Amino acid sequence: MRRHAPALTPTLIAIVSFLTVCPISMLFLGSFTEGWEALGNFTLQKYIKTYSDPAFAAIIKNTTIFTIGSALLATALALLLAYLNTRTNIPFKSLFGILSIVPMMIPHILFAASWALLLNPSNGLINIFLKQFLGFAEAPLNIYTLEGMILVEALLDLPIAYLVISPAMSAFDVSLEESSRVCGASSLRTTLKVTLPVLRPAILAAITLVAVRSLASFAVPSVLGMPGRIYVMATHIYRLIATGFSPDYGMAAAVGMSVLAISITLIFVYRSLTAEGEKYVTISSRGYRPTVIDLKKAKYPLFIFVSLIACLLIVLPVVVLFYTSLVPYSMVPSAKALAAMNLKHWQAVIKDPISMLSLKNSIFLGILGASLGIILSVFVAYVIVKVRTTASGLLEAFSFLSFSFPGIVVGIGFMLFFVRTPLYATIWALLIGYIATYLPYGIRPISSAFIQIHSHLEESSRVCGGSSFYTMRRIIIPLLTPGIVSGWILMATMFVRELSLSVVLSRPGTEVLAVQILRFAEDGLWGKLAALGIIMIFVSTVLVISASLIEGRIKKVK
Amino acid sequence: MLSLAKEEDQYFVPNPIKQMEIRISNLSKDFSLEGKKFRALDQVDLTIPANQIFTILGPSGCGKTTLLRCIVGLETPDSGEIAIGEEIVFSKEKSIFIPPEKRGLGMVFQTYAIWPHMNVFENVAYPLQARREPKEKIKRKVAEVLQLVQLAGFENRPATKLSGGQQQRVALARALVAEPKVILFDEPLSNLDAKLREETRKELRRFLTRLKITAVYVTHDQAEALSLSDTIAVMNNGRIVEIGTPRDIYFHSEHKFVADFIGRANILEGQVRAIENNYLITDTSLGPIVCQKKREIEIGKKVYICIRPEFIKIIKTDQKKGPNIFLGKIESLVFSGDLCEGEVGIGQISLNFQVEPTSPLQEGEEIFLQFPPDHCQILLH
Repeated sequence: MRRHAPALTPTLIAIVSFLTVCPISMLFLGSFTEGWEALGNFTLQKYIKTYSDPAFAAIIKNTTIFTIGSALLATALALLLAYLNTRTNIPFKSLFGILSIVPMMIPHILFAASWALLLNPSNGLINIFLKQFLGFAEAPLNIYTLEGMILVEALLDLPIAYLVISPAMSAFDVSLEESSRVCGASSLRTTLKVTLPVLRPAILAAITLVAVRSLASFAVPSVLGMPGRIYVMATHIYRLIATGFSPDYGMAAAVGMSVLAISITLIFVYRSLTAEGEKYVTISSRGYRPTVIDLKKAKYPLFIFVSLIACLLIVLPVVVLFYTSLVPYSMVPSAKALAAMNLKHWQAVIKDPISMLSLKNSIFLGILGASLGIILSVFVAYVIVKVRTTASGLLEAFSFLSFSFPGIVVGIGFMLFFVRTPLYATIWALLIGYIATYLPYGIRPISSAFIQIHSHLEESSRVCGGSSFYTMRRIIIPLLTPGIVSGWILMATMFVRELSLSVVLSRPGTEVLAVQILRFAEDGLWGKLAALGIIMIFVSTVLVISASLIEGRIKKVK
Repeated sequence: MLSLAKEEDQYFVPNPIKQMEIRISNLSKDFSLEGKKFRALDQVDLTIPANQIFTILGPSGCGKTTLLRCIVGLETPDSGEIAIGEEIVFSKEKSIFIPPEKRGLGMVFQTYAIWPHMNVFENVAYPLQARREPKEKIKRKVAEVLQLVQLAGFENRPATKLSGGQQQRVALARALVAEPKVILFDEPLSNLDAKLREETRKELRRFLTRLKITAVYVTHDQAEALSLSDTIAVMNNGRIVEIGTPRDIYFHSEHKFVADFIGRANILEGQVRAIENNYLITDTSLGPIVCQKKREIEIGKKVYICIRPEFIKIIKTDQKKGPNIFLGKIESLVFSGDLCEGEVGIGQISLNFQVEPTSPLQEGEEIFLQFPPDHCQILLH
């Protein structure tokens, strides 16, 4: 393998740098030109127009509040959950593991839509319920507000914050706290002066990572923000290209450049924070277990609180969607509603040619895109982990950089590129865009699998008489399979539900599921939305299960 | 624990058709680490005799593992030649590089490199499967070799469910199953705890001697090297410093580095003043010391004198006769179970010494010491 490595690295750098640098440089060029046909005529007009727009100040303000608000809320909840899980005797700890994989199960757009179904001011189920049974004259709750958006986005990003904070919490050395108590500090003082400062790098990292996610978030701002005319950067970009008579890609690119700059800055902050965090973790003693705090009477109330969050995250969205797909119009669950249930929305969706086309396209993109993406990821991860030259460092930097790219912004960049190629308005444009944007998600599980394959395992096979091909077949591939499968599942489910890139790249004929769901949301066709949404969840689940089955077969065959 | 069967020799004895001597000449290899180039192997010339346990001993970073990896084919040297038996496996000049899988060697890695996705049988059978041996033969041979390392009945145990000692034995079985010409060990005991390591070392010696196989063993542990080997090659900075039997290396080392690295040593600077019969008289900062004369040496030459703590004798005042007697004051004395170790000051110089654990000596006491001339070694710079 060492022999073809020199040719492999430059090839991969060429592919990956095309995938990451191309959309960004097109975005950059596009932001300085007039219209998407006239690339090359330099103008500052787009930036001037963007920043002189009086409405843009409000957008910046909304974006800031939305991003920081959801980052703080998600991190605070994650901190509480991680503390309860690692440091207390709260019952049913396995629940916390479930919480951390939820975003793989429920697409963000459906989650946002289900909250709209529950809390929209005109016919949200909870609002109708409150009006009917508690005598409110007007809908008391409104999800189409900045607060509503922050709440939903924070719930969606909670698992990410949890995954960052939880390891730091388990590695926390309790003797630090104990010595503070011995020195005479109270419990509260210890928490404020010792526990939180020691966890600070992890907490800040979680806040930064969630901020990057919510800055890029499109599902929540589009479904919950746009009905109330609350625009953030992502939806502002969408408005510039998708609504009105003449889409202004130059201006969208100019806004996109600003978002990208913030996002890249945040991701570098995140990286330096996690590097610092690792320093803390390595100091802590090995084989050590944190002391468990007895919650006593608070045990069950706290457990109920945690279960409530789990319910909000997992059960509620699916139940609401399923219910909505069966009732003819919004009504509170009752005998009357039960009697009125039918499959009208399901039939309508199945007969709708665009919905069926989007289903076909999404399945195609999920399976083929994830497979191609994972093949590329295997080679990239191999070069990053096993070859380890200056060039492979460059490759790592490229693939890491694309981690910070907001989907809609990359979408604008790709659009400016594809419009000059025959790929424009084809499914292949979406395929390339997906792989470019989500490549880090494939690389990560595979490179950690590669790290676990100690070079001695390979070498001992060679000494035992196995050729490099034989070694590949009997040692490397089988050991890599779990990483490949989990990377494939991650990519496939993300592709099936992909929204923020698709809203830019999808054209008539290349509709995908999430975009079609967004159209239904915009048109208020909640029943069809719910039916198609459940089909989408079903497709993701089938992909996950079949990939796991294939993994089992590979293990058996060996 | 590696407690190897003693009675199974008749089932499994690899058949050395030829005397598998390893000849290495003029071998060099450079590495670059963080932009800096350094020489891992510096013109190494070495002949490893057949059917011996040959140990390459040296501090970490001395190039010993690189040398082993060059022999097995996992590294490509920059220059030189390696021959195993009659076959040249690497030659820069003749552009020969036989890949590791064609060299027919067995190797036990430091990490054991047991494949985690296979069970014990699959791990051990691997070298035979790679050679496309018939299934029946594979089954028989794996059973034999597992019997030999006392792992019979463990065939279906997953590799991840083995203790450190068992993993080590699986690695050994895997290295032996294809009846290799030579077996190589890269610090195979360094992952075992101290007690198990000592027992395993003894078993391994008994086992390898009985198999009559050429074994090359790399370690940084001098006690392991002394007790295990037929021959030791001491390496430092990419060069072989000295080769000899364990006793030669311990009692008659020629180099300061070797004497210092192996065992505990007091090393003094000195100058040859006279040669008398078979002894040298040297001037040191302690005064004149009479030393053994191993080789021709000219008067006036600067040398080092090595005196091992266990040979420093404590004598009573009335027995004060003979050469190399000094008065010293005990600076420290520590009881460590099987003996008492301490430091004794003679003038400005402190020397390590040891006495039996029941000795009534106290810190601060003045004692007479004698260095027997036969145990005062002359070392070169």
